[in-house]
Amino acid sequence: MEKDRKEGIRGMANPGRYGIERVAYWLMRITGLGLLAYFIGHIYETSSLLDGKAAWNSMLELTQTTEGHIFLALVIGMCVFHTGNGIRLMIAEAGFGFGKARRPDYPYTPSSLNMKNKLCIYVSIGLAALAMMYGLGVMYDV
Amino acid sequence: MSSIMRESHIMKIHYLTALVAVGFVIIHIMVRVMQGFSDSLLFDNVIANYKSIPYAIVLEAMLILISVHGFNGLRIILLEIKQGRVYENAVTYGCLAAMIVLIAYGSRTIIMASMGMV
Repeated sequence: MEKDRKEGIRGMANPGRYGIERVAYWLMRITGLGLLAYFIGHIYETSSLLDGKAAWNSMLELTQTTEGHIFLALVIGMCVFHTGNGIRLMIAEAGFGFGKARRPDYPYTPSSLNMKNKLCIYVSIGLAALAMMYGLGVMYDV
Repeated sequence: MSSIMRESHIMKIHYLTALVAVGFVIIHIMVRVMQGFSDSLLFDNVIANYKSIPYAIVLEAMLILISVHGFNGLRIILLEIKQGRVYENAVTYGCLAAMIVLIAYGSRTIIMASMGMV
């Protein structure tokens, strides 16, 4: 307990300690930042349209490589996870999926961290993986 | 922003922009996939997409919704890391300014391409 307090924000943020919920906490922030960075890049990329066909084609060539396709597949995965987990968080914040309020008894398991929420996180990760595979299939015309 | 608006209202906007943006992103992706992914990215096809007014409106709406959601998300992450009146104001107004710049830059592309100024 004493050690927990000394760790401060690092202890709270440790993804290895609090199970899949803390992993989801990190993934939500990392995917959010990744998607914002992609969005800014996408706006810049599409602005090359205004410089004519040659500029558009040369910009497009950057994404028409294996690395470009892998990057886009990652963007698809980030988008699907962020959406799935975001919907879970909205539902949770509305107060659904926690069960009934009860007296906090030992071992003080938080009712918010239940199987329903854990399942939603795993489903979001699974859907993200499937979407990435589908996206790669579309990009490679499989 | 927090001094202008209550955080609970900002979170409602955050969730609402997310849900509506998901709908528009699905339309955006469906348009690309239905035209054939590679063909849909040809210069003439992209310009034709922009010249379709309903689709240009979808793009503009998506630009605004995702910018508001994205930069508010960034603000929330940055406010989790550190607190303090000066820092919070700097983060809030910095994100607001970046959001306005991005919307203006993206809108310029949408307006010029849809009006054929390419």
